[in-house]
Amino acid sequence: MNIPEELRYSVEHEWIRTDGARITVGITDYAQDALGDIVFIQVPEVDAILEAGSMMGEIESTKSVSEIYAPIAGTVIEVNTHLEDSPEMLNSDPYGEGWIVVMEPAAPSDLDDLLDQTQYRALTEE
Amino acid sequence: MVPFGGWEMPLSYPGGTLGEHRACRGGAVVFDVSHLGTVRVTGPGARDALQRSLTNDLNKVKPGRAQYTHLLSDDGSVLDDIIIWWVAPETFDVMPNASNTDEVVKALRSGAGADLAVQDTTSARAVLAIQGPLAREKMKDVSPEAASVARFGVKEFTFDQYRCVAAGTGYTGEDGIECAVPAAAAGAFWQAVLNAGVTPAGLGARDTLRLEAGLPLHGQDIGEGVTPLNAGLGWVVAWEKGDFPGRSALVAQSEAGVTPLLHGLRTGGRRPIRSGTEVMLDSRKIGYVSSGNFSPTLECGIALAYLSNRIPVGDTVSLSVRGTEVEAEVVDLPFVTKS
Repeated sequence: MNIPEELRYSVEHEWIRTDGARITVGITDYAQDALGDIVFIQVPEVDAILEAGSMMGEIESTKSVSEIYAPIAGTVIEVNTHLEDSPEMLNSDPYGEGWIVVMEPAAPSDLDDLLDQTQYRALTEE
Repeated sequence: MVPFGGWEMPLSYPGGTLGEHRACRGGAVVFDVSHLGTVRVTGPGARDALQRSLTNDLNKVKPGRAQYTHLLSDDGSVLDDIIIWWVAPETFDVMPNASNTDEVVKALRSGAGADLAVQDTTSARAVLAIQGPLAREKMKDVSPEAASVARFGVKEFTFDQYRCVAAGTGYTGEDGIECAVPAAAAGAFWQAVLNAGVTPAGLGARDTLRLEAGLPLHGQDIGEGVTPLNAGLGWVVAWEKGDFPGRSALVAQSEAGVTPLLHGLRTGGRRPIRSGTEVMLDSRKIGYVSSGNFSPTLECGIALAYLSNRIPVGDTVSLSVRGTEVEAEVVDLPFVTKS
């Protein structure tokens, strides 16, 4: 299972990459593997203001449906529209081409509450 | 691996459901379908016992052919849908679904005389289904005899000195061959099929393939409370051949009017349709989805749905998907025809 060291993680199996004042969010390798072949994703609108833990979209695979949650509070400033026609990128490149949204955190200190690589690995091995 | 009718079966191999699905539409895949039961019925009375018990008419076929048929309960419900392989004049392999084998054995034994034997041979053999436009070509490397079986034909062949049976049947909408192989030879046969360049495929692809082909799944699209007439499978009912369980219930249903009726639905988006989804027309509930998913071939949502009245092909209905209304068009079945 690929869990990059430079990322942060949520208990809902999202990864968070910090880039200055912005964060990029996607689903982890563990999540995509558990979902199986992803065929559909619904993403939030640009400018959507999200509470921490609120539902921001849905992912459906051939076998199940799963919700995606905002890992921290913030505003959506960019969404990956390529996923609409090519949701399989969530499977093939979850930490790269399969990114889902870019957000501006409401309070950057919220990032401190997220899991690091070691903590997330422990979660996936429970 | 997932539990399925008392068996442990793979949902997919490492290739994934979509890859396996596409391999079947464009090449050749192999499914391990040993979970299907095999009930071997032999003897001078075998043919008559099947004629009395099941809906279809064996007079339409002959030894060396396969036939799709139903076993009904007295109220006309589909107890099981079955493929019969007519192996030799007095030898039939009756193949029910995973969990229904005991039921079928019971039905065939009831009222039977001493002139037939009914034996559950499921645990003695494996069944591998090789499916796809290249299935026959690839199978020439494994067994030229099996590869040459006709569409809906049945023939015995030898693999590694074991006697096996091949049938030109399947559950994907593609051409293909199903092979019953003695358990002792099953591992070697599976390996030979893979060595011939056939892609292994699991339950996930089996379900999306049969759905695109508009083929019903027992326990989901047919079963308790659903007759062959509800499911649009009136062609498996041979009205003229004499009595069989459920016949009078079907006659009564035809006279009263058959409802609900199975329809094909297709959406404009990629979101998979799930079973249990309500179908609405003019804000009124008119039915429910019995099977649905994403169609890898059409790249949109497809579903089999039972609707209270016949809705013409081309008309639009709506689906309530977790609070959102999604439009769907009524379409002809199958959704996808043979490649």
